[in-house]
Amino acid sequence: MIHLKVTNLHKQFGGLHVLKGVNFEVNGPELIGLIGPNGAGKTTMTNILDGAIKPTSGTVYLGEERIDQLPPFEVARAGLGRTFQVTRSFRRMTVLENLYVPALAMGHAHGKARLRETAMEVLEFLTIDHLRNEYAQALSGGQQKLLELGRLLMLNPDVIILDEPFAGVHPKLMEVIYAYIRRVNDDGKAIILISHQMDSIFSLSDRLLVLNFGDLIADGPPEDVKNDPAVIEAYLGAEEEETA
Amino acid sequence: MGIIRKGRAMKKKQIPNIAGVVVLAALLLFPLVYGAADYDYMMHIMITAFFYAILAASWSMLSGYAGQFSFGHMGFMAIGAYTTGLLCHYIYLSPEPTGLCAEARVFGQWLVVVNPIGVTSTTLTQDCLRQAMEAWGGSVEVTRMPVPLGILLGTLMGALAGFLVGMLVLRLRAAYLALFTLGFSEILKATISAEIDITRGQAGLELPPLYPEGVTWFGTYFEPTDKLPPYYTMLALLLVCLGILAWLAHSRFGLFVRALREDPDAAAALGVNTTRYKVLVFTITCAMAAAAGAVQGHYVQIITPNMLFLLQMSLVVAMAVIGGIENFVAAAIGAILLQVMLELLRNSFVIGGIEVDMTIWRLVFFGLLLMVTLRFFRNGLIAPIIAYFGRAGVAEETVAKRASTVTGPHGGPHRTEAPD
Repeated sequence: MIHLKVTNLHKQFGGLHVLKGVNFEVNGPELIGLIGPNGAGKTTMTNILDGAIKPTSGTVYLGEERIDQLPPFEVARAGLGRTFQVTRSFRRMTVLENLYVPALAMGHAHGKARLRETAMEVLEFLTIDHLRNEYAQALSGGQQKLLELGRLLMLNPDVIILDEPFAGVHPKLMEVIYAYIRRVNDDGKAIILISHQMDSIFSLSDRLLVLNFGDLIADGPPEDVKNDPAVIEAYLGAEEEETA
Repeated sequence: MGIIRKGRAMKKKQIPNIAGVVVLAALLLFPLVYGAADYDYMMHIMITAFFYAILAASWSMLSGYAGQFSFGHMGFMAIGAYTTGLLCHYIYLSPEPTGLCAEARVFGQWLVVVNPIGVTSTTLTQDCLRQAMEAWGGSVEVTRMPVPLGILLGTLMGALAGFLVGMLVLRLRAAYLALFTLGFSEILKATISAEIDITRGQAGLELPPLYPEGVTWFGTYFEPTDKLPPYYTMLALLLVCLGILAWLAHSRFGLFVRALREDPDAAAALGVNTTRYKVLVFTITCAMAAAAGAVQGHYVQIITPNMLFLLQMSLVVAMAVIGGIENFVAAAIGAILLQVMLELLRNSFVIGGIEVDMTIWRLVFFGLLLMVTLRFFRNGLIAPIIAYFGRAGVAEETVAKRASTVTGPHGGPHRTEAPD
């Protein structure tokens, strides 16, 4: 049973208090949307969850294991994977090689033939199997997003954080990403989806978290969150401000 | 049509392998069939070329594959050379204690450390071992550190230094890493120059020849000064290094260090222990540089801090860049071709009554070649040729696959093209 527990998470960069005691849990294969205005602390929280930066205080547990002090590769091995807001494919490596990296790092590979077979299945699902021997730098921005998602399938973590998976993506490719998210979630993975595309996030998520200037101001079903006055204020500004 | 295309691609892919076998056979036969008067000179050029090929190939793995742009590679080479040089210069085994030198009993023998007395170390009255030997009157025979052991220890010292520097530069990237490693190399040069008592500074440290007693191969005896044994020794070292690099490049190590080069944060997020592979690639490639330095030191029999001049490091970088920085075989070929070319271009000639002094102009041509390569051939001159054959059929395969529109498994788009 997947259990991610974030407790009293703080992060300060000098005088800037980016996260102010964030608490939430992920129980089982939930599909959680994480939203908030620019500068709310979404990416900082993602970086803390994946081990890229350490919190000022607070804890993160994945199952029984405390992961907030682990380096990123150990967090990945513990079962938490992520994509990046700006796509970070290994540009001068082939598409297949991009997929081999996480599989081999995790020790999932059982022979060359099996590894290739698994990678090809992933590429076929993502509809970029014809590009398997091309260098990643030859792919379009959208195809590179798909490649990043493919690498996560090869990593096979329990919790997946998708940072802006729809940003700058052609509508055709969005269908593929939608299918990916549903499939991965159906396979029993928990997903934390960060996006500014409200339509997508509201239609996909079972639960929404809203961050605003480092505070978690809402946590609940999308319909409830949509009508939460604090959320409306965060996104649209206070009534007085609007009228002022 | 598809089968024919595949067959052609397979044949094309074999061309670099076939060319490799031909070149290897030529290199193996060269000292046996070459009979011109400048035999020793040509052998010397080739030995030096192999030496640079090891440095360029190992530097290519470090900088081209792993993206760790080090300017300290010659420093590690010097560590190998000076380790074996100092050990062979100062360490002796004696059946009797000298009573004058620092010494310790090891496995029934006395390990004697000769007192470091700098450039005057050949003066009999100041050398503790020579004083002892004079007192013994030839009744006791001492042996110096065996050359192969010195080379092995030099290699290990290079690996250790590479490991330590690798640990120190974990958080450094790009220009900062280059400057750090350059600083390391300069400190090493200054230390060797300053510690005249131990290293003999600019006077140079003498080393015993690669085969101090000569060597007999296939019933033929070769003198310590003969060029054939060092030729095959350096060629063997080059082949061993290339073999190890090829094995690493095709293993998960190669995959991970390339991922490290491309994006260390993304690689770590996918489970790659980037710290481990960064340190490992430093350790392995620096060990190779040290091994090359140790063998070269015994071949030329004298080493000075001048081997650490920035120009020497720039030469290795230029050789790798002109060959192809992201392919260690191309870097090695580039090094051999350039070294041979630079030497053969020394011959001056006359055009229209004007003498062209090639000892100077060859360096101008070399610089121009480097500039043209950097401007127009970012992957070097040799690597694209290897890639052309190695990746034969990839573009055709992509086009053919794209043409065969197959419905996606979830009823989505057929195949994702690049709409951007």
